[in-house]
Amino acid sequence: MNWKRATIAAASAAPVIGLFAWGLTRDPNNIPSPLPGRAAPQFALQVFAPGQAALSRPVGDTVRLADLRGKVVVLNFWASWCLACRDEHAALSDVAATYAGQPVQFLGVLYNDVPDKGSAWIAEMGGQTYPSVDDPGARTAIDYGLYGVPETFFLDATGRVAYKHTGPVTPAVVRFKVDSLMAAAAAPAAPAGAPSGDTAAASKGGAR
Amino acid sequence: MTMKRSKWGALAAVGVLVMAFGWLIYGGLDSNVVYFLTPKELAAKGVEGMDKPVRLGGQVKPGSVVWDEKALDLRFTVTDGTSEIAVHSKGAPPQMFKDGQGVVIEGRYGKDSVFKSTSLMVKHSNEYKAPEKGERPSEMYKSLMKSSGS
Amino acid sequence: MTRLLAYNAIIVATAISLLGAVLLPVAIRRGRRDWLTLGYAAVYTNFVLVTVATLALVWGLVTHDFSISYVAQVGSRATPLFFTVISLWGALEGSIVFWAWVLALYGAAAVYFNRGREGHLVPYAAVTLLLVSLFFHVLLLGPANPFQPVFPVPFDGPGPNPLLQNHILMAVHPPLLYLGYVGFTVPFAFAVGAMLSGEVASDDWIRLGRRWTVASWGFLTAAIVAGMWWSYEVLGWGGYWAWDPVENASFIPWLTATAYLHSVMVQERRGMLKLWNLNLMVGTFVLTILGTFLTRSGIISSVHAFTTGTIGYYFLAFIGIVLVAALFMVAGNSDRLASEGRLDAPLSRETAFLVQNLLFTAFMFTVLIGTLFPLVAEAARGVKVSVGEPFFNKMSLPLMVALLFLMGVGPALPWRKAAGEELKGRLLPGIVLGVLFAIGVVAAGGRGAYSVLAFLFAGFALGTNLQEFVRGANARVKAHGESFVMALVRLVAANRRRYGGYTAHIGVIMVAVGIAASSTFKTEQEATLTPGQTMTVAGHTLRFKNAWGRQEKQREVIGATMEWMDGDRVRAQIEPRMNYYPTQQEPVPTPDVRSTLRGDIYLSLMAFKADGSNVTVKVIWEPLVPWIWIGGMVVCLGAIVGAWPGGRERGRAVATPAAPALAEGQP
Repeated sequence: MNWKRATIAAASAAPVIGLFAWGLTRDPNNIPSPLPGRAAPQFALQVFAPGQAALSRPVGDTVRLADLRGKVVVLNFWASWCLACRDEHAALSDVAATYAGQPVQFLGVLYNDVPDKGSAWIAEMGGQTYPSVDDPGARTAIDYGLYGVPETFFLDATGRVAYKHTGPVTPAVVRFKVDSLMAAAAAPAAPAGAPSGDTAAASKGGAR
Repeated sequence: MTMKRSKWGALAAVGVLVMAFGWLIYGGLDSNVVYFLTPKELAAKGVEGMDKPVRLGGQVKPGSVVWDEKALDLRFTVTDGTSEIAVHSKGAPPQMFKDGQGVVIEGRYGKDSVFKSTSLMVKHSNEYKAPEKGERPSEMYKSLMKSSGS
Repeated sequence: MTRLLAYNAIIVATAISLLGAVLLPVAIRRGRRDWLTLGYAAVYTNFVLVTVATLALVWGLVTHDFSISYVAQVGSRATPLFFTVISLWGALEGSIVFWAWVLALYGAAAVYFNRGREGHLVPYAAVTLLLVSLFFHVLLLGPANPFQPVFPVPFDGPGPNPLLQNHILMAVHPPLLYLGYVGFTVPFAFAVGAMLSGEVASDDWIRLGRRWTVASWGFLTAAIVAGMWWSYEVLGWGGYWAWDPVENASFIPWLTATAYLHSVMVQERRGMLKLWNLNLMVGTFVLTILGTFLTRSGIISSVHAFTTGTIGYYFLAFIGIVLVAALFMVAGNSDRLASEGRLDAPLSRETAFLVQNLLFTAFMFTVLIGTLFPLVAEAARGVKVSVGEPFFNKMSLPLMVALLFLMGVGPALPWRKAAGEELKGRLLPGIVLGVLFAIGVVAAGGRGAYSVLAFLFAGFALGTNLQEFVRGANARVKAHGESFVMALVRLVAANRRRYGGYTAHIGVIMVAVGIAASSTFKTEQEATLTPGQTMTVAGHTLRFKNAWGRQEKQREVIGATMEWMDGDRVRAQIEPRMNYYPTQQEPVPTPDVRSTLRGDIYLSLMAFKADGSNVTVKVIWEPLVPWIWIGGMVVCLGAIVGAWPGGRERGRAVATPAAPALAEGQP
């Protein structure tokens, strides 16, 4: 046994393994959104599912993004025909309830679906704590450059897109992002951009 | 020829071969890599992004689709909410192709600012979607479903 | 009930594998024969337990036991029985069960047939097999557990992936692929056994693993060809290979395995390339695992990839361990692997094998680098890219053409040193046939340098390989006075390995001709037709008769009836369709193909009017494509001949240096 040679050869496997390990943390199908760091597209959409208790808004009410200035907004695009939306539903609904009374607005946006089916789905899933709005013709979805559902956008208090999450969210992800955005809003000297992470486009955005 | 010399000679030969091979691969990759871009990123590249293989992802802008059935000629605009790119494609689009649909188009962005598509794929979350009322083929193509094959 | 049986069987199998893998090395150290027997018993018990789990899962599928998570995921009461059974490998978890079963089967067989062998090679090989088995059991208990309880029990499930139900080849391709992939574990285990037992200097590990290697190679070849055939018949774009990462994942180990099959002959005959062969075998195994990792972890974007989960991390850990351990063992043993012989002349069979190995290795690295490049580019430069087909085509064409040429030269060259006169006689039939092929292509309108060269060398290789059969049979006719056919049969039967190899060569040539012809002369056209209207593609006229729809058990079908005309006579009816599955957003296009030996008429339904007043169809004339499938079968025939039990294993010819070429010709 030639130990020296054996050790050198074995060590040469490290970069390959490192590359794969790094690769596993990436999603190859994830296409970066042009939005993070930019002002979120405006919308005015009608509520079709009211939500519960402190978070609720009457059906038919129009939600305008412009009115939500000063609040952190969590925009979750979903549909009744989407399986992954089932996975994240409980997480979003429960986390939203814990932020009742704080300057955070959770909002579901129905994508390529009809409100009747959306309401039936919410009932089937055992209710949704925050309101959902309808997006006829997927206009808002297009403005936000949606690729599929579920996708969740986190807007900071100044109305900029801070993060985008593709696929089902977990409670930890939602809490972390909402908390850091609230902290940024509370700190007066916070820079205009978003804290960190998937906001690489921030510096380049805003030209158009 | 001593054993030593032949060994070094062989090593040198292998080195030259590996280098030539590496150079070939590099050249091949350099000219054939397909970039994944959004309309915004493609527009930002300007002339540099033209005439290179690109995979463009975005949505079909509602009302932009012009489909000539006889000539099998398809024109539409793809958007990501910030930038728009005109696309030209030959051949029938997939059945699911419609306004607002997420699409992935492979092709090259021409000097005439039109994206020439070589393949058009509908992007869909690979998920279960129950057919809505009127979306079942038996309802959509009633006259066809009555005639049951040959 | 069924669920618990299966789950507990896997738990016990995990424990048994671990126990066996610990017990065997101890038995070797202490020289305890009885413990050795006990260790082997662990290998057999493992097989029995995994078989129980696999059968239980199949039973659960067949009886629609939706309390088992895997059944709830892929089962449905509307799915026909056959597709229900094969949905065992239709999704990730089930495919791992099937994999574990094949592995356990191979492991038990490999140990059983070699249990009496003296020395420590086989026990260490058994340890290797048990450890690989253990990994798959851990997957089944962790990230790919198909036996989770489902509560409340659903009444019905969504059914398997429609693509699985759309074509019969999908029933054939995955098991063939697993049989091939998993099979390489056995020769790899023998290689590891040789390294751990210190027997690496002898060729025993190669001889023990030879039939396993040939058989696995045959299965893998069959799987690749079946996969090509499937995508050709199902995906509707008229091609059979797209250099997709999943396709590449099966092709990369095939390349190293093919190189290995040839280079071991140099070791067996001349005692050269020992270290190289060990590397090829270990590399082939690592690449099969790498291929599985790439397709199961979602690390690389592909249309065929399974859905992702935490399984990638398990595979990463496994690859890491295997890679480090293998490199460590190979490098540590490298001192014992000095060459006994050396190259005598540039014009000899050894040289042909050497060049062939270099080309196959370069080919492997080309495909590997092209497949992994998107990952590297994202890590290094942060850009998302994919490597397009043009890269692979551009790089692989010259390699394939050169390999065709070598396939023609190799069999004609004797070991050690070629004599000019004899060589001429052996090469002549090939040269004549090659020139005829090339003239034929140019006459048919082929102009590309590569396509003319491909046909030239294909003809050449066909000539020399056929010539080997004829020459060998003629020698027997002369010596024994047998009839030519009898002589041919006896010749092949007496030298299965050699003539199995030549048979495989002829199959590969058929595949090459099919690929070259279809990529040079493929003609396609798309048109929108009203009933009664015709279109003509490459001299074939097609008439649109009518569009129709019908309800089938598990799907709704829209189709178009097209008539392939021969003058006024209808030669055949072709019906491209679109299948609508209730669980799928998009229809699954189903092209229809009519095959002749000259080529295929390939029809895809692209679009249709709701009232059937017109349809858009794509018509492709695909010359000689059926020869790819025929060739694939011939290759498999060659592998069967080569791996068939019995016949004698040829030892090394170092001891008889005189006129080996002659000895070869008259076995």
